[in-house]
Amino acid sequence: MSIPGSGIAKGMATTFRNFFAPKVTRQYPEQRPEIPDRWRGRLDLIYDPFGEHKCEVCFQCAQVCPVEAIDMSGFDSEGNRIRYGMQEIYDERRDPNAYRRAGLAARPMRNPARWDEAVDTPWVDATIDGYGGRPEALVAVFGAVQDRYGYLPERALRRISDRTTIHWAQVFGAAGLGGFRLLPAGGHVVTVCVCASCRFAGGPALLAALEDELGILAGEETADGAFSLAVGTDVGAGSISPAIRIDTLVYGPLDADKARHVVHERRRAADQATAGATA
Amino acid sequence: MDFELLLGLGRFVLATTLLLLLTVPTAFVVIQMEMKIIAQMNLRFGPNRIGPKGIFQSTIHGFKVLAKEDTVPDQADRSTFTLAPWMVFMAAAMSMLVIPFAPGAIAADFNIGIVYFFAVLGLSVVGLLVAGWASYNKYSLLGGLRSAAQMVSYEIPLTLSIVGAVVLAGTLSFSELIAWQLDHGWLLMWQPIGLGIFYVSSLAEVNRTPFDMVEADSELVAGPFTEYSGMRFGFFFFAEYVALFIMSAILVSLFFGGWLAPWPFPAQLGGFAGTLYGIFWFFLKTYIFVFIAVWLRATLPRVRVDQLMGMAWKVLLPLALVNLFITAIAVVVFDL
Repeated sequence: MSIPGSGIAKGMATTFRNFFAPKVTRQYPEQRPEIPDRWRGRLDLIYDPFGEHKCEVCFQCAQVCPVEAIDMSGFDSEGNRIRYGMQEIYDERRDPNAYRRAGLAARPMRNPARWDEAVDTPWVDATIDGYGGRPEALVAVFGAVQDRYGYLPERALRRISDRTTIHWAQVFGAAGLGGFRLLPAGGHVVTVCVCASCRFAGGPALLAALEDELGILAGEETADGAFSLAVGTDVGAGSISPAIRIDTLVYGPLDADKARHVVHERRRAADQATAGATA
Repeated sequence: MDFELLLGLGRFVLATTLLLLLTVPTAFVVIQMEMKIIAQMNLRFGPNRIGPKGIFQSTIHGFKVLAKEDTVPDQADRSTFTLAPWMVFMAAAMSMLVIPFAPGAIAADFNIGIVYFFAVLGLSVVGLLVAGWASYNKYSLLGGLRSAAQMVSYEIPLTLSIVGAVVLAGTLSFSELIAWQLDHGWLLMWQPIGLGIFYVSSLAEVNRTPFDMVEADSELVAGPFTEYSGMRFGFFFFAEYVALFIMSAILVSLFFGGWLAPWPFPAQLGGFAGTLYGIFWFFLKTYIFVFIAVWLRATLPRVRVDQLMGMAWKVLLPLALVNLFITAIAVVVFDL
């Protein structure tokens, strides 16, 4: 038989020991968790600057996944249902849109106006045919399109993909490799994250450095229209704060010098692209 | 006009003002202790951002409630709804009048201080009941009724538990009781059973864990405080923590020698120095008991509402009566 109150005494002893014990709370902005080098963050389908899924259901990721964690389904360019992995048995899993599969609303296009940018399709076809429609001529076709429009319009890229039967992901990837503009001049939006974590880790210093580097204040556009500077909390990169985002690419963690460097490099690439376009 | 009367009035106004002002830092300190100590016992850091080591957290909370919107439910009984926080807070503030902080530092040294104290502190149950009734909310009403049942039940063993001490010391005045303890040793040695009963029922009286049935969050949202917001809620909150301080202070005065040091009080230390010395020991001991109450809250779960009443009537009350009986016989037999 236990003595009445012994349980209370035992509990009190435990709490009293805990009072002096080391605390387990991680003081987040100061103390950051060790993030393994190969950590890729939350898996997500990324979007191109026009608000469209970059995923083309090409299965490359599913094929190389070492633990076969990825199964996917969608539609090929002919509209046929294609899939990789086990047969989906639930209707809601059959939806080709990953966001709807996850029960979320599919994201709207960020800029429908640009999506609808008119393109002289017969001219694009003629250009492609002029190069023989070969995949190795892709860059030359891009050059011709950029000469005419000043950048690579979405519709033109789609047309190139269709006409040359090169996968859209590859066309878009090649266009994004460098030397070409995917947006009309002035399109590069540099967003400095001002979420709590980034602010704490030195976001304001980044903003000051970039304002100095670009010679503009937040919310303004450079004189040549190549860059605009913005602040936002939607960068979503708390684990690599302080972070900035240029169009859709997130950079972090940065210090003032690194941020200057990133923007400087981006500006150099943009200048080269314009130089190439006018040459 | 009579000079004596003016002096007395002035002294009264000064003392009550000082005590009312004292409730604010007291509540801040007790709330801060509560947040910090429970956090530490939960292996957390607790508030550590505002001020050095986070010491201004509760102050910020206090000023925050001032800035919040003060809402009154649509069908609430407006006048009583407004009055309830006052009643609870004033019950706590008024009972501070008789707390003996140090020799010479006692606002009103009544010869019936102990009776006054329990009478006034018991008024807070009226405030809670009124708050529960006026809110037009079932949770509030249930909380208010629970508070009435609980506090009325526990007031009986609470009061009876110190009758033994009163019989022994032969006085109802706090300062005389402490003087008696100076001569005969702390009442803790004379009245251990009384102390136990007093401590348990005082926890119930100020609605502390494990007897916080009145605002059992998981059952009653926040009890009588459910519909309160802004500074009216702040008054309840303040009153609750001031009451914890007061109960600890009374416990110290009754059983732990009040302002007396654990060793003989240096008699040559008179006047202002003696007052300071007494205040030091009084607050030290009081905050030790506040710490213990917080410690209990970090440890114990809430008791069931039916067990709570059974404990008051079946265990504490008979024990208190037995204690009183034994004490009375001892006083007669040994002629204490």
